Amino acid sequence: MKIVREALAGTLESSDLMVRIAPRAAGLEIVLQSEVIHQFGAQIEAVARETLEKLGVDAAQVIIEDKGALDCVIRARIQTVVRRAADAWTADWSALA
Amino acid sequence: MTDEVTPYRVDPTSEPEATAEIKALLAACDLSYEATVEVFVALKRGRRIVACAGLDKNIVKCAAISPELQGESLSLPLMTEIAHLAHERGHTHLFLYTKPDNVDRFRACGFYPVVEVPGVVTFMENTPIGVRGYCASLKILREPGAVIGAIVMNANPFTYGHRHLVEYAVANCDHLHLFVVAEDTSFFSYRDRYAMVKAGVADLPRLTLHPGSEYMVSRATFSSYFFKEKNAAADSFTAIDLLVFRNFIAPALGITRRFVGTEPFCKTTNKYNRDMMLWLRRPDSPFPPIEVVEIPRIAHGEIPISASEVRSLLAAERFGEIGRLVPPFTLAVLRDKHRPGRTPSQIPDPPTWVENALNKKGPETYEDS
Repeated sequence: MKIVREALAGTLESSDLMVRIAPRAAGLEIVLQSEVIHQFGAQIEAVARETLEKLGVDAAQVIIEDKGALDCVIRARIQTVVRRAADAWTADWSALA
Repeated sequence: MTDEVTPYRVDPTSEPEATAEIKALLAACDLSYEATVEVFVALKRGRRIVACAGLDKNIVKCAAISPELQGESLSLPLMTEIAHLAHERGHTHLFLYTKPDNVDRFRACGFYPVVEVPGVVTFMENTPIGVRGYCASLKILREPGAVIGAIVMNANPFTYGHRHLVEYAVANCDHLHLFVVAEDTSFFSYRDRYAMVKAGVADLPRLTLHPGSEYMVSRATFSSYFFKEKNAAADSFTAIDLLVFRNFIAPALGITRRFVGTEPFCKTTNKYNRDMMLWLRRPDSPFPPIEVVEIPRIAHGEIPISASEVRSLLAAERFGEIGRLVPPFTLAVLRDKHRPGRTPSQIPDPPTWVENALNKKGPETYEDS
């Protein structure tokens, strides 16, 4: 899926995250800020990257402001932000589970 | 307290009662209401507004939380709502100013400090890669040399005065980085100003022409240049702009010397030049000092050439006189685009203006350079 516009999803509340996405020429750039970055930074980034790959997003800038969200919340927020920023939704929901 | 708070939006032009409540809340927090705010987000608990924040395009202003509720993390729902509202209005890159004591509160809301005027105000943006990403793109354009010069100009429009400054600068450094103010609030559009500068310096060697950015002489870094503002932060705006230049832009390009023309007419620009001497050179900074070179404007007859004079003559359609003050390309742009019926009210009539100039009391112009 191609990211064609900037989009925003999520909140800054505890156990949630705010995700911004923007178009990029090539490659994924993920910038993560988290209150638990030392314990879970690598895990959060891996979940974000895997979700983006499953959606077929291979070029985007993603800025994540994490407030201690669980993996399922991270996936949901990223799916939403991609849906808002993509030219057309081509992913199969059942394959994303 | 666990009472729910409900966010809602207030349009200050059509909701006087809610706006009055916001004004009262700001006053209770020792903040001033700013008329430039286009829309507010307010958090209500019951029927009372307990927190608010406003948007002036991409700048967050008037953010306040009722004193007795501070510490309840109301800033998180407030700033979430501001982020979504700004996004809906087409602004993804947000800026704000706050007291240095409040930096941690906004940091928790996804804002990152850019520069601080010590003890007075901190300038923040809502991305960790904003100014750093911009500087990374500048670094690619570094040029070798011991003395690297810089000029930031609005060129509204580009005159022989600007040309003189650029020629002088090129002769007095190894390479010159020339920036055109990008903010599109001047009489001439950014596109036209950039084209005029480009044509006006095309023959000069050892010069890189850069588009401007939000990080120099923009609404975000230096709003009093574009709008007359009366608040405590207004005095610090020059400092914010100059600190961003010193701490980020100059190191990215290796700039060691900044050139400016003297400013006999515009108080704001004159103050900016004075403050440059302070903020670019202060020894108590971890960043290397930047030499400031201020050269006198060239004059045509008795009056120094200025862009505001050209705009005044344009309002009177005195193209013969304009032709003596601006290069041929600028004149062509003026003739081509701005002749028919465009005489904006903010341009003073030439007689008043000339009188002001001779008395050395500048007209209140906020967009001359």
